[in-house]
Amino acid sequence: MELDYEFMARTFGEVWKGAGVTLSLTVLSLLLAFLPAFYLAVLRIRGNSSSSRLAALYVSFVRGTPIILQILLLYSLLPSLIHAVLKAAGSSINIFETIDPFWYAVVVFALNTTALLTEVFRSALLSIPKGQLEAGLSIGLSEVQTYLRVIIPQALVVALPAICNITVNLIKGTSLAFLMTVKDVMALGKIAASYGYNYIEAYLDVFLVYLVLCTLVQWSYHFAERRLGAFRGNA
Amino acid sequence: MDTRAFDPAMIFTVMPNLLEYLDVTLLVGAGSIIGGSLLGMLLAWAKIGGTRGLHWLAQGYTYVMRCTPSIVLLFIVFYGLPQLMDALFSYNINQMNRAVFAILTFVLLFGAYISEVFRSAYLAVPQGQYEAAVSIGIPPIKAFFLVMLPQAAVVALPNFANSTINLLKEGALAYTIGLIDMIGQGNLIIAQNFGAYGIEVYTACMLIYWGMTLLLERVFDWLEARLDKGQTLAIRSKDATGKEKNGWKEWLKGGEAHGIGL
Repeated sequence: MELDYEFMARTFGEVWKGAGVTLSLTVLSLLLAFLPAFYLAVLRIRGNSSSSRLAALYVSFVRGTPIILQILLLYSLLPSLIHAVLKAAGSSINIFETIDPFWYAVVVFALNTTALLTEVFRSALLSIPKGQLEAGLSIGLSEVQTYLRVIIPQALVVALPAICNITVNLIKGTSLAFLMTVKDVMALGKIAASYGYNYIEAYLDVFLVYLVLCTLVQWSYHFAERRLGAFRGNA
Repeated sequence: MDTRAFDPAMIFTVMPNLLEYLDVTLLVGAGSIIGGSLLGMLLAWAKIGGTRGLHWLAQGYTYVMRCTPSIVLLFIVFYGLPQLMDALFSYNINQMNRAVFAILTFVLLFGAYISEVFRSAYLAVPQGQYEAAVSIGIPPIKAFFLVMLPQAAVVALPNFANSTINLLKEGALAYTIGLIDMIGQGNLIIAQNFGAYGIEVYTACMLIYWGMTLLLERVFDWLEARLDKGQTLAIRSKDATGKEKNGWKEWLKGGEAHGIGL
């Protein structure tokens, strides 16, 4: 089997241009998921039983279904839903043309990540001894202050390896965004592949790009963990 | 889009039709898990007891696989393997069933993930158990299969369950290479209705997957409770405290095995 190395080298540059979309999709989804996930985690820990159960149901459903089905469902549901809402509101904006599919992808991945992060935050928060909260309160900090300055910084370090895992999985997961016509790494590879039927070369390029991206992300998390975990004395 | 309202009854109308193709989905899943476990055992063995070269080969393979989106690997296998076979053996496998390509892809992926599970489970069983067995005259191979393996299996079970469930969800990708599994059939139904009922069909698929996941979780919980026999807690707590961090090597392993994909 002869690989067309010249094609591969040329295409690599082209596919690499999709890295920006892939990364921004990942980062945006993570950022958007952060607060809701934290809220759901707190609900799971100390909410009353019905809201806690509702949060658990959401997490179970998202974790129990393939991401590809979530994409297919929301991509067929969201546009018409927004269209119906806008129409009811009397607006004449044609959302089928004005909304970049990128944003649908962000919504899908943010919803998915929320569920995954909820579990991570829940176990991270549970790993912080209750005495920390009590100590904070006893010296006159408010509960919010104690959370912000004492508990969350510690919980975040505990959660970091799992968040790294989620990020890497999210980068890999965003490769499915091409189903929503988002021009990410995978989509550019697919276009390059079908242009001259150089399937293997193009997908090997895509594979290399993901390898580089994941390595960079894991590296940065590794260093972040060392820095943030310095107070534990093991860095 | 505003000509037809969402029809919840349709979800349950298409469900029997979708369930007919559940066996394809399950076959891909089961085949990948069995093949992947064998590959995983081999990799775990290379990581623990292999020579230096084998160790790094297995470690590198695992790292690369953890960074590969399954759909990319699926496409590489689906398009690349026929060409490779043709070039090496002049053997045409283009007409081969697509399930084979799907299973092969997921074997490659699952093997990498599960090898970490197996490796850490084996290391969680105290080495003294093996030494004790050998010292009372049990041959090394028997000591491994009768003493070490059963204990390691129990330790591996929770992570194995996690990976299995994740694999089942990853298996949903198989329709992208044209395999008619549950989602493939769902897409056919949508096509037969000229693009209508997408939401209902996908919801039905999701409900089926959710049911499968919940069922599997229950089964594994039951297995865990049954096989536990009051032993694992001690082993596991030792693993948690006895685990050392060793800089970049730890990082290369990518932390703990959290299973495949999203």
